[in-house]
Amino acid sequence: MISCTDFIPAYSELFRTLENLGGVAAVDNFWNDLSDRFLNNLRDRVTAHGIRGCWDYWSHTLNEEAADFTMELDEDAGLFRITMHKCPSKGRLLACGHIEPYHGYCRHCDVLYRRVLEPLGYEYTFDGSGCDQARCAITIRARHGA
Amino acid sequence: MKEVMTRRAADNVYLHKDFHGALSCGIDYLHRHFGAPAVRRYLRDFTLSYFAPLRNELKIRGLVALKEHFEQLYRTEGGDAQIELQADTLTVRVQRCPAVAHMRDHGYAVAELFHETTRTVNETLCEGMPFTAELLDYDPQTGAGTQRFQRRPS
Repeated sequence: MISCTDFIPAYSELFRTLENLGGVAAVDNFWNDLSDRFLNNLRDRVTAHGIRGCWDYWSHTLNEEAADFTMELDEDAGLFRITMHKCPSKGRLLACGHIEPYHGYCRHCDVLYRRVLEPLGYEYTFDGSGCDQARCAITIRARHGA
Repeated sequence: MKEVMTRRAADNVYLHKDFHGALSCGIDYLHRHFGAPAVRRYLRDFTLSYFAPLRNELKIRGLVALKEHFEQLYRTEGGDAQIELQADTLTVRVQRCPAVAHMRDHGYAVAELFHETTRTVNETLCEGMPFTAELLDYDPQTGAGTQRFQRRPS
């Protein structure tokens, strides 16, 4: 058994394996598949509660992942934002000196959640410019009617 | 309504068991698209790279290093496991696998080859070492099973 505390390096290695087997397309296809099959929790919460569903979903996951973050919700403006001061996943990969993180590791956060939220009527913006220092930001805005 | 939440890493314990479900999805995806050998190669590659320090400890200190590894793992995950080291045999008897239990409890699919996270990982930990690893029995419904590590006969 692989402990869930060792999952992130296993995830990174999985991405590398997929790229070696089928190129970047294989990695993207897996992320799409994972989004469709595994993120029903996020999909269901946002469908039921609107933008507050994002707050509920990430309140659970980011606390269990012991992330260093600020989350903001403005329901009237239809806005939800995560400012990740130190991502627990990328931070672990960078701190683990004996393995090489998959080069596109952080991109999964752009693909997985966008695929859930855009069809539900939300704009999804991922700022990965600080990824090499385990920092990023996600902004989710309700489009008209969402 | 407006809300703000700020947390530091030290505010929480790092234990996100839903990761077991994501790993299971990954194993299932690899299996469906690239076959069972790809799953085993992936887990072998992961073990050789990520568990290199543990393999080094196994080489230097013997099976006690694996005993400590499994004690820490099941203490962290809260599983029900008996870990016994006698002479040159380490036996890990798992009554309730915390990974499979979490996935079953939360309705996540458990990959057909999820047991390879035990069998292939254990065999790879011992690869090139004077030790063998065997998965003697395994219940895919609960993840219960018996793992045995032994010094190879000289």
